[in-house]
Amino acid sequence: MAVSAGAVHEALADIAGREHCLREAPALARYAIDGMMPSLVVRPATADEVSRVVALCAAERLALAPRGAGTSIGLGNPPRRLDVVLDLGRMHAVREYVPEDMVATVEAGATLDALAAHFAPHRQALTLDPPGGGTRSVGGVLATHASGPLRFRYGTGRDLLLGARFVQADGTLTWGGAKVVKSVTGYDVPKLLVGSLGTLGVLVEVTLRLHPMPPASRTWRLGFPSREAAGVFLAGLLDSPLQPDRAALLDAAGLARAGLAVDAIGLLLSIGSAPEAVEHQGRALARLAAGHGGRSEEVPDAAWAGLGPTVDGPLLLRATGEPRRLLDWVGEAHAAAARAGVEVMVLAQPGHGVLQLSVREGFDAARVVTDLVRPLRSALEAEGGSLVVERAPAELKARCDVWGAIQPEILAIMERIKTEFDPAGVLNPGRFVGGL
Amino acid sequence: MPLTPQLRRALEDIVGPAGLVVSAEGRLTYECDMHTFYKGTPDAVVLPESAAQVAAIVRLCRREHVPIVPRGSGTGLIGGAMAPEGGVMVSMTRMNRVVELDFPNRCATVQPGLINLWLSQATRDRGYFFAPDPSSQMVSSIGGNASTNAGGPHCLKYGITVNHVLGLEVVTGAGELVQLGGKTHERPGYDLTGVMVGAEGTLGLITGVIVRLTHLPEGVKTILASFSSIEDASEAVSAIIRAGIIPAALEMLDEVVIRAIEEGVGAGYPKGAGAVLLIELDGPIAEIEAQSGPIETICRDHLALEIRVAQSEAERALLWKGRKEAAGVFGRLTPNWLLQDAVVPRSKLPQIMKEVAAIGARHRLVIANVFHAGDGNLHPLICYDDRAPGELERAKQANEELLAACLALGGSVTGEHGVGLDKRASLPMQFADADLSFMARLRRVFDPDSIMNPGKLLPSHPACGEGFRPAARPLPAGTWI
Repeated sequence: MAVSAGAVHEALADIAGREHCLREAPALARYAIDGMMPSLVVRPATADEVSRVVALCAAERLALAPRGAGTSIGLGNPPRRLDVVLDLGRMHAVREYVPEDMVATVEAGATLDALAAHFAPHRQALTLDPPGGGTRSVGGVLATHASGPLRFRYGTGRDLLLGARFVQADGTLTWGGAKVVKSVTGYDVPKLLVGSLGTLGVLVEVTLRLHPMPPASRTWRLGFPSREAAGVFLAGLLDSPLQPDRAALLDAAGLARAGLAVDAIGLLLSIGSAPEAVEHQGRALARLAAGHGGRSEEVPDAAWAGLGPTVDGPLLLRATGEPRRLLDWVGEAHAAAARAGVEVMVLAQPGHGVLQLSVREGFDAARVVTDLVRPLRSALEAEGGSLVVERAPAELKARCDVWGAIQPEILAIMERIKTEFDPAGVLNPGRFVGGL
Repeated sequence: MPLTPQLRRALEDIVGPAGLVVSAEGRLTYECDMHTFYKGTPDAVVLPESAAQVAAIVRLCRREHVPIVPRGSGTGLIGGAMAPEGGVMVSMTRMNRVVELDFPNRCATVQPGLINLWLSQATRDRGYFFAPDPSSQMVSSIGGNASTNAGGPHCLKYGITVNHVLGLEVVTGAGELVQLGGKTHERPGYDLTGVMVGAEGTLGLITGVIVRLTHLPEGVKTILASFSSIEDASEAVSAIIRAGIIPAALEMLDEVVIRAIEEGVGAGYPKGAGAVLLIELDGPIAEIEAQSGPIETICRDHLALEIRVAQSEAERALLWKGRKEAAGVFGRLTPNWLLQDAVVPRSKLPQIMKEVAAIGARHRLVIANVFHAGDGNLHPLICYDDRAPGELERAKQANEELLAACLALGGSVTGEHGVGLDKRASLPMQFADADLSFMARLRRVFDPDSIMNPGKLLPSHPACGEGFRPAARPLPAGTWI
């Protein structure tokens, strides 16, 4: 720090109020990132306060990490530097919501559960449901590009974020996008921010597209005796006019962890529509499953809440490959895990080729890197995919880049963007791809 | 800037003599897009056949400091695919192939010049289609759709082009040939694909596109509801959305447009009506049936004069023909026009339609309306006659008041057409200096020498003079909005 921590603390306290500026070790420990403790934590209440905090950090050359609910703070490489954690937890207001527009503008610290409760009386929903993510902040979900079963019908934050107010690395409060459902005015700046891990700006307020809740919704669990059978069924489902709104695929360990009946592979699917259409499509689903040696049963809606524990291991990997090869990748993941001497459980996104692999305690970090992360990553990368270490203990992160390699010419463009907007490395230095 | 013999030779070395247009008559074809007010003839037009040729063109122009303007089919409405500063226009019409149809991955890889509708035609037998459906889709290119982030009637349900682009092959303004995104749905790092879509060729040239293919719905139902006034129709739109029903498309046509269409293509729209709603439901048949009842009730509650359900594919096609070719019949209405593409929050539709009428009356101008009502995307067509003294000035005044009214309601300058030359001066109405500066800096990252489609998308310095006096010219045959 260019000036003493004490002076910075005073300045931050001036901005956010003394009680919202923490510097005692026990409090700071809760804000550590990959074991690195910040010197200060500040909890601003307004966009203007965020702007002033970031400007101060920029002027003092301090490294700042934005933080929502902190549930996914483990994503990213260990910080190169960390001075100040900016906690957005006090910024959780719904700023604008006109139900007839199906658009809401909310502060970035609002949790998904709180937003769901806000929109539900109008039978509308923000269709973002990362497993176990109800307590996550919407800003964090967007910055990490998190998604869940609803992606099957509604896409991800990339498709739902219409506009964003954010604070640039020099403290400039900036707006990108629009507050209407359709706009092509200027560059699509919100796209640049989704998944950028706060490295280009701190999201303070986001305008989101909402969807009407379907009049009726029912959920089915489909079980298959083998990966092959599940794979053929899934191909048939994707090649049909059936329209589930939520979809998840689990392996046997995942099914057990989610409290569902166990098969080699299971799918959880829900249909949301008019009651007659739900009934009709539900029957069609069961027929399709039976035709591929599967069994189907209707399960309560609460089954979806059971997915949270399938991704709560101390080590969580996110593998992305071609959608058509999803079941192959389940097999490859199991084989690599066996070689590494660990058990994984799999939660996957049918139709999108994304798998989350959760590993329980008691693994050998070196072996996991050598026998699981590296070989699986290079196999995925060979078909244009990737493997991201979403969560891992520090000793594992020390042994591999959590993002994997980015093609040099693509990384060069990303570096130019980062350098243009944050030349001094104020925002999350070192945590993003290529050490950005 | 005149074309030097050296540059001409260098271009010819890259694309061959058949891929180079330098004659004055030849270049004249490329002087404007469908917004014919804006004219600018390129010094040369090149028609590359590969991404490698495009990359060589960009590197050459970069070295020579020559502006580059990309062009697909030239059906844009914003003064985009034209060369106000001259330079080299890169036309993608010879790169128009489907490279790969990958049904198991539900995606297709295509060259940028591929015509939008061709892709749906090529995949229909296998049960798929390409969802973005700008009204120009029978002639506009997918590269152009991606460059402008085109919309269309069915974007109400399916989303605009960016929601359907998985990856791009691009030559940046810095001359890099890169593959962004791809068949896999996630990759670490910044979403450069998302930034490139809608950038109107100011960041780079698109040389390949990987798009999602969408499964055809089980059923389709097209409903036409006519109303005595546009206010009633607007209230009905708001009520449908409020009921939690998102049709596949929800289009509005006003009385002026209905009359012109009937005199032109003759789509069987009711002649005396003050407004028509074209409502399309698609999806599982049981869902369509469950939704169409409430929609008909809502229309009746809002005093619909007539509700007609297309009984055959032919009848459905005819109802759509009127809508899709609406702009083409405007020549019957007016010698000249100004077109808006502003968006309002959908709940504000009844209010803005009143304003549109009031603005038209105040300036003694006919304002025709045909638009995507379901997402609040207006297309008011301000009719005027350039030969009548003062009409253009009144039309421009009405245009500005209309845009201001939309933005005052929380709207956006353009919903699907894009910015180009036409709307760049309006951006400060929607964005503050800091917001525009962010965009300008982003542009510089991709285009360090400011050669990519210069003058478009962002407002220039006020001293450059944004004012223009459009040439008096009738509407070109076949314009789509």
